[in-house]
Amino acid sequence: MQIDFKAREITVKLVYYGPALSGKTTNLQAIHKLVAADTAGRLMTLETRDDRTLFFDLLPLTFAGSGGIQVRFKLFTVPGQVIHNATRRLVLQGADGTAFIADSQIAETRANQQAFLNMQENLKENAIDPVTHPLVIQFNKRDLPGVRTDEELDRLAQKGREPVYKAVALRGTGVIETFLGLTDLTWRHLEAKHQLKEKFGLDPDVFLADVRERLGLCGEAAQ
Amino acid sequence: MSDLALKSGGLDLSLGDIVRLDEVVDREALRDVCRSFFELFNLSVRVFSADGTLLADAHEEQSIHAYLRTTQGGERALREDQDAVIRATPSAPVQLGEITGAVYDVVPIVYHGRRVGRFVLGPYLPAEMKEVPKALLKADPALEPEKVRDALASMPRVRRATAERVAAHLRGILDLLVFSSHRAHLTSEMHVASVREGYRELAEKTSKLQAAYDRLKELDQLKSNFLATVSHELRTPLTSIIGYSEMLEAGIAGDLNEEQFDFVRTIHTKGDQLLALITSLLDLSKLEQGVMRIEPEQLDPAELVTDVAKTFEPAARKKEIDLIVAVAPGLPRIGADPVRVKQILSNLVENAVKFTPKGGHVVLAANEAEMEDGADGLGAVLLALPRRAVAFAVRDSGIGMPSGELSRIFDAFYQVDGSSTREHGGTGLGLSIVKRLVDAHGGTIDVQSALGEGTSFTVTLPEAEDGP
Repeated sequence: MQIDFKAREITVKLVYYGPALSGKTTNLQAIHKLVAADTAGRLMTLETRDDRTLFFDLLPLTFAGSGGIQVRFKLFTVPGQVIHNATRRLVLQGADGTAFIADSQIAETRANQQAFLNMQENLKENAIDPVTHPLVIQFNKRDLPGVRTDEELDRLAQKGREPVYKAVALRGTGVIETFLGLTDLTWRHLEAKHQLKEKFGLDPDVFLADVRERLGLCGEAAQ
Repeated sequence: MSDLALKSGGLDLSLGDIVRLDEVVDREALRDVCRSFFELFNLSVRVFSADGTLLADAHEEQSIHAYLRTTQGGERALREDQDAVIRATPSAPVQLGEITGAVYDVVPIVYHGRRVGRFVLGPYLPAEMKEVPKALLKADPALEPEKVRDALASMPRVRRATAERVAAHLRGILDLLVFSSHRAHLTSEMHVASVREGYRELAEKTSKLQAAYDRLKELDQLKSNFLATVSHELRTPLTSIIGYSEMLEAGIAGDLNEEQFDFVRTIHTKGDQLLALITSLLDLSKLEQGVMRIEPEQLDPAELVTDVAKTFEPAARKKEIDLIVAVAPGLPRIGADPVRVKQILSNLVENAVKFTPKGGHVVLAANEAEMEDGADGLGAVLLALPRRAVAFAVRDSGIGMPSGELSRIFDAFYQVDGSSTREHGGTGLGLSIVKRLVDAHGGTIDVQSALGEGTSFTVTLPEAEDGP
């Protein structure tokens, strides 16, 4: 996170992590499409080859908090392909929260696991504690055949601590929910760490309700 | 402070942020854009960075300004108004006027929610203005109304709505220019950073590997020395002890009386026990140091169970114990070291036969099972996925163990009743070796027992993985 007291500006970095072709960029594209233009900036795609991200995608979202505070969320994706690990680690630098986008297809189970372990490793490399780092998991591509059933996912989800969301990012389903879940978790984590309420008078409940309200309608519209 | 980086100015790669326009935008390109705007609309355009640096300037000297500067009062009034325009840093577009009645549109350039600069459009006369402002004529007594009127006539006149459209257009173009420049900038920065990071990673790995290699060589030497010492220094004399007691027992050195024979046999038996203990200790130390080599192969559980059962049949028959083998059909192959997995099962069956009284039974069973790994809860939804496995069970109708002791039976040298070593033999190391061998195979071992009813051990080993 970056705080600029003079400009009354808070910048939060959120990273979409996951195995290759799990739909990280699609998530950002869906958010960009669903969120009003005065909140979302232009979606920047840095270097792609055959539709595969080489460096990262970047989507800025800006919210005005109470008292003239500008809260800027910067959403990044990492390149999923195994060989781009150095780039992934760079993009993960200074992340305040992470959404792990998993591919729901059973055949992708191992790829999901490997990407998750790789994320934990890269978090540690960046001096971020994976245990306390705000994390949500999204199971994308729920509409494809050969996916784990909802019941099975729910059962497995109960074993973990992190919130689990189901999505079809291509249709925009579940994308806003995932983002809101991540924002909620991240903001509360940052509040506990930096007392933003005390320093800026930015009440977490009020601010998050505000963000939810601004985006909640988009989520419903996508259903 | 690592995550609370206060802004220091300059581009921050980890956030992909820009603070000032001129960090990314090429000044030449900016000047060209302003120049073409000026030519198209005949309106002066100036672009400032967030810190007030003039980055691009396309304007024409207005004759009214030139005339005003010929007088002291006119020059001062004009300078005051123009300074106010240059200093203005509004958060939304504003219109500022000057003494001539002309106006300037000051428009912030906002990028990623942050003001990175501003542009100033003008001066121009609002098309709606009809008369020369009185303040202008009073600015200096030397100003002649006729000349003022003439000079003012050459100033561009623009409707408010038109000016707004032009400003919006320029804002759109600048936004695109900043976006493209930003992307190009980030791309090149990322290229460099990725290469650097890749190199750093490689160098770090190489040095770690080198250190690990050196240390391994050293450890290997130490281990070899230790094992050689133990096996040689302890086993050699022991072999002699066993050998000579054997010879005495066989009567090679002459007949022994009954008491002597008993003593010699005790030496022989205890010697064997000591040899077994040393061998077990070697196993244990290898397992604890992690130098025990597990060489997994794809094994058929049915074959394995039958093999082990065959070994213990004579001992069981001697004690009139029923040794029952029950293998479920269609079991998956397990990936395990054949020698070590036989050691695990043999140890359990040996114990079962040992602790089961005459006429009892021992069951050796193999069934399909499921395992879930990833126990710490983090990412369990992804990691704790069910895996096929085989559960080997060894059940006996023996003396059993009190439930309070079950958690400790895998500790080295622990036996439920200290006397059992003396009564039943054994080193007290068997189960701790079994446990460590099972762990080394990525398996689990469970025990259930009831005093007087018998004990049941279940070893679960995962299915062999495909591929390399």
